[in-house]
Amino acid sequence: MHDHGSTEGERYRNSDLHKVLLIGNPNVGKSALFGLLTGTYVTVSNYPGTTVEVTYGNAELNKTRTLVIDTPGVNSLVPMSEDEKVTRDILLTDKAGVVVQVADTKNLRRGLLITLQLAEMSVPFILDLNMDDEARSRGIVIDQNRLSQLLGIEVVKTVAIRRSGIDKLLKGIQHPRPSIIDVRYDDAIEGGVRDISSLLPDAYIARRALALMILSGDESLSGWLHANIQDHVIAEIERIRQAVQSKFNNSLGYLINQRRMKKADEILEQVLTRHEAGKSSAVAFNIGRLSMHPVYGLPILLAVLYIVYQFVGVLGAGTAVNFLEKTVFGVYLNPWAIKIVNFVLPVPFFQEMIVGDYGLFTMALTYAIAIVLPIVGFFFIAFGLLEDSGYLPRLAVMVNRVFKIMGLNGKAVLPMILGLGCDTMATLTTRILETKKERILVTLLLALGVPCSAQLGVILGLVAGLSGLATFIWLGTLLAVILLVGYLAAKVIPGDPSDFVLELPPIRVPQLTNIMVKTLARVQWYLKEAVPLFMLGTFLLFIGHKVGALAYIQAMTDPIVVNFLGLPSRAAEAFVIGFLRRDYGAAGLFMLAKEGLLDPIQIVVSLTVMTLFVPCIANFFMMVKERGMKTALSMTAFIIPFAFGVGGVLNWVLRTFDIQL
Amino acid sequence: MSDLKKVDALEGKAGHPALCVLPEIEKEDELFEIIWTLQEEGKLTLDQIIQSCTIKECESIIADLAKHGWIKLKGQSIELLPKGEKRARELVRRHRLSLRLFYDLFALDGAEAEACKFEHILSPEVTDSVCTLLGHPPNSPDGKPIPRGQCCAMFRQEMKPLVAPLADLMPGEQAKIVFITPGSHSRLDRLSAMGVVPGSVVKLHQKKPAYVLQLGETMIAVDKDITKEIFVKKV
Repeated sequence: MHDHGSTEGERYRNSDLHKVLLIGNPNVGKSALFGLLTGTYVTVSNYPGTTVEVTYGNAELNKTRTLVIDTPGVNSLVPMSEDEKVTRDILLTDKAGVVVQVADTKNLRRGLLITLQLAEMSVPFILDLNMDDEARSRGIVIDQNRLSQLLGIEVVKTVAIRRSGIDKLLKGIQHPRPSIIDVRYDDAIEGGVRDISSLLPDAYIARRALALMILSGDESLSGWLHANIQDHVIAEIERIRQAVQSKFNNSLGYLINQRRMKKADEILEQVLTRHEAGKSSAVAFNIGRLSMHPVYGLPILLAVLYIVYQFVGVLGAGTAVNFLEKTVFGVYLNPWAIKIVNFVLPVPFFQEMIVGDYGLFTMALTYAIAIVLPIVGFFFIAFGLLEDSGYLPRLAVMVNRVFKIMGLNGKAVLPMILGLGCDTMATLTTRILETKKERILVTLLLALGVPCSAQLGVILGLVAGLSGLATFIWLGTLLAVILLVGYLAAKVIPGDPSDFVLELPPIRVPQLTNIMVKTLARVQWYLKEAVPLFMLGTFLLFIGHKVGALAYIQAMTDPIVVNFLGLPSRAAEAFVIGFLRRDYGAAGLFMLAKEGLLDPIQIVVSLTVMTLFVPCIANFFMMVKERGMKTALSMTAFIIPFAFGVGGVLNWVLRTFDIQL
Repeated sequence: MSDLKKVDALEGKAGHPALCVLPEIEKEDELFEIIWTLQEEGKLTLDQIIQSCTIKECESIIADLAKHGWIKLKGQSIELLPKGEKRARELVRRHRLSLRLFYDLFALDGAEAEACKFEHILSPEVTDSVCTLLGHPPNSPDGKPIPRGQCCAMFRQEMKPLVAPLADLMPGEQAKIVFITPGSHSRLDRLSAMGVVPGSVVKLHQKKPAYVLQLGETMIAVDKDITKEIFVKKV
């Protein structure tokens, strides 16, 4: 689902295609609009920061083949985090096509802050006032003609999720213009802008805008500067910046923003009228408030967790898995497959390869389709509902204090929860965090202790057969480990924690079609990514079994697996394939338990180790990509012995105190 | 909106506060202020004082002050003696509090000139009252620290402050942002990009487990620490 690779992007960006670039504040509906224009689905959610990478899509707009580009949301074009930098860099380094600024109509004040920056860049653009319906239901009406007049650009109104206004938008993008509006700053700042501008080379955006970014103290610009200007000129620019800054006690970035905000207010005064708000928004508003209430928030949180557990763990991992595994595969598919293969392929070696104990069909496909798929499918539905309701950021508010213990803040909840969907894409999402320290911490905790949906589902299915105490011990150990490691790592890893400043989107009723499309896209992605790896893993196991390597590995690991963890020898298999995919490993344990080879204590111990155990291959590669090889390797080197250590201690405690599960 | 303009105009001025043209004893006061300000900036030398001073008989006044035990003078180095230190601290405190009063509360043009007159008149009791009224502000509008007084330490709440940190609002109350004293520059940049600037009207929804603010149609959750730096006037 997030496989829009950058090489593909490079190729697109350098082509001569007509381009449309979607830019705007977080959570204003850029991705929804992108989906509408291109017919390609990208994840649309109701929380800021869903899109952290640039997405490209082809479309036939106004009878021209057009490249549509979706970007991560920004609050300012002076970036404060990595995802914001991605957006600014596109404007900076790409030949501009048509820029469409998407704004949330009810929040136009903040949208205008970006409008003014685009105006300073002198890029041709149009303004799309999206979510017009939501603004109207709150009694906010924008005079789009007057606004168009003031800005000197086309202004259109849309409701992207209902396809309304799209024809006007398409007409609008044929006439992009640089805006005529401009902001005058304090004399000293204007002087600095003049001096710095004269030292800058030509770029795709106006020098004035670049100079203002530099004055705002934009450190993310230094890469571009060093690539385009000689060092002594950069030093001169920095000298000018410091000279201007020394004349003020507040940061220049703040003074510049403050002036822009004032201009935005002047514009708003002329275009915005307020009427009485409708009632429907008040209900959603109160639900939103209760969900982060210091008293009622907690029972709501527990209720949400319980419902998700019932839906995914009991309905998905229990009922659906039983039906698929026992009936569909057990009674029909597997016996048929065995018959057909035995008939078509009279060679025992190949028979065993496809339908044997480690068969591609009887093991790999059965695991992937009968056990993991129903579980992740149910999880994706539940997760989609949570995403679109706007509950997740409120959850961040509830757990902010706990996260402070780990040197993080509530904002880190978003990637962590996303990790319950897929740790690989969650690792990518750590870009929304502001400091390097936080990104490293969250990457580590994701790899260590956050089970992904596939694995979680299998685990829920396993513990559902045990007592509540067993579930509690597994979960408690996990949470304790996350807290402890987070706490210690926060002390070791240098750097500062960042402020907790999180925007809360309105509570909305999730749209059924979006949930369906989103779940389907994710299931599709799961099948594409997981099934081949399941096949590969099974094939390796089969070969290992044939040449006796499996027995050798088991003999090697017996001291740890059997003596230290107190597990049967075959559990080593599950750990080995756990390297490929975590859920595959968990599914291996699932099967062992079903065959009656694990007692309750063994289930809890093996699950704990499997959860803490190394991340899957895909996640490991993402860690390398985002954090670098050295960090990824040292995290893995810490995690493996640590996971077995925790498992061993847990085994010892449970056995010594003879705890009945 | 006009508030913004004035604060900007003030911030636009470089260097030291404009000097007040006033009679004999008040010339001494001006020198104490210059010495205090230079000491804050770590640039306290005799030459610097003479450079910053617009009073003609500057050097002779300095010699006078040294003779009466206000300051210690040795070549280029100057040091405030305890009683001089006390006098300078109180002066600067009155001056900067007056600035806050005129800019934030009365939104007056030419606050600097008014503040100059005020700093010589205010009695200690009235100074503390003004400080309390303003919510014991840590900085003057130009960002310089206001020396703390007794009232700040005791936090007497007998007189209800007109300007108070956002952290002190009750949930459900609405207020207008008067000024922000940021702990860090990047924090202020981020907040301002979300619309948190002087002049914005903010409503506090809850304080626990985190502070939740609403500005227009934007809801933001923030740490308590941040709300201590945003000073507001109830509306």
